[in-house]
Amino acid sequence: MPRGLKIVLVILAVAVVAGLLSLRTLRRRLHGLSESRSAEEQARHAVLAPPISTPTDVTVTAQIFWADGPDKVAPVEVNLPLSADPVERSRQLLQTLIANPPTDGQRTLPADTTLSAFYILSDGTAIADFSDAIASELPSGILSEELAVNSIARTLESNVAGLRRLKILIHGQEVDTLAGNVDLTGFFDLTSIPASPTAAATTGASH
Amino acid sequence: MLCVVRNLIFSCAFLLAFGFAVLLPARSTHRSPQEEPQSTQQPTAPTAPPAVPTGPVIILDPGHGGIDTGARGAGGVAEKDIVLQVARTVRGQLSIQGYRVVLTRKDDSNPTYDDRAAVANAYREAIFVSFHVASTGASGTVRAYYDQFSAAAAPQSMPRTTMRSLAPLAGSLVVWDQAQGPYFDQSRRLADVIQSQLARSFPGSPQQSTGASVRTLRSVMAPAVAIETSSISVSTPDALVGAGGLLSSAIADGISALRQSSAAGAR
Repeated sequence: MPRGLKIVLVILAVAVVAGLLSLRTLRRRLHGLSESRSAEEQARHAVLAPPISTPTDVTVTAQIFWADGPDKVAPVEVNLPLSADPVERSRQLLQTLIANPPTDGQRTLPADTTLSAFYILSDGTAIADFSDAIASELPSGILSEELAVNSIARTLESNVAGLRRLKILIHGQEVDTLAGNVDLTGFFDLTSIPASPTAAATTGASH
Repeated sequence: MLCVVRNLIFSCAFLLAFGFAVLLPARSTHRSPQEEPQSTQQPTAPTAPPAVPTGPVIILDPGHGGIDTGARGAGGVAEKDIVLQVARTVRGQLSIQGYRVVLTRKDDSNPTYDDRAAVANAYREAIFVSFHVASTGASGTVRAYYDQFSAAAAPQSMPRTTMRSLAPLAGSLVVWDQAQGPYFDQSRRLADVIQSQLARSFPGSPQQSTGASVRTLRSVMAPAVAIETSSISVSTPDALVGAGGLLSSAIADGISALRQSSAAGAR
């Protein structure tokens, strides 16, 4: 074998080994970056959506609807300090729904979702305005999107009295769908469950 | 004298030629049945006329498309590609059964929701089936959905009559966003029949159809359902694509049941 060819082969072999080593390092670095990004997102979430407490908070047993299997939501009883004001109460409930599922498997909304605004109109229409993450980070599909909407609707319905229907906005806008399938242009009914006197608060304020 | 004889011969020849030209065709058109030429070929069995598709036009809607990939699985499998293959399979199967089938997209395009609905709304009698693949759910299960939002727009105590009698009266205006409303009852029945078949074919699937606010169905002026297979997270998409045959059977059963119930309602 000519000497030149040997030198080229050795250089190539060294380059391959060096590449493999750097690939491993790169992968480790990428993993570290993704972890730090996740921690960063959690920190941002904590800043953007700090726990809400109001002077009228009373600890009650609320029913939060998280996933119970792949295709339905079920209530989980949680002791929460909830406001008497229906708007604040709704915000507290939705924040709990997003941030504190008992397990990751029961999560119905992406962890990075924040509730940007919440209003209740005088006719009992609740308007929930979520951040983009609710759409961009939710797995696409009728099943997962319907589960997400149901968890929001049923949680509000079970714990806040006087709500008739729900409108979901994303980043302040009406959008066609949640993540490509479920229609968000209409209103979701909040009167399918008879109001529970123990869990419900009085409704009066409108924003 | 020679000229006279020559003219006489030409005249006779002309008259003979004229006579043959006029009389022979007349004879041939008045040929009696006994004069029909005997065919040398053996008589063949009467062939069945080509099947003329009857009944509603089946609109198959492969969800998503183009830049809208839908759900994405490991290895880059995209919902839009799987549902297109499934729709093609179902089209083939239903066509064999004599149905007229139309696809809302035949390639990697992405028609708007309204464009998809418009395909169905262009036909006098149609049935709309939208295909999807979920990101979640137990693998191998399939769900049929009808549009829950349309319940609000559905006429109360609607009589169960024929498909056409449920359609808006000719000349009346239809609110595009509520076009599915008059068909809510039929869509739910169609979804129920399809789901009961799916539960048999795909173990673990629900027994009953599900009402959901499916955007694609909202503006369809025809019985409309969405069928979603779980899930995109399977290791190989072959199982998802291969489900097309069983989906065809379930859809055909659903259409048949819907037509029977409509006919019974009309009587």
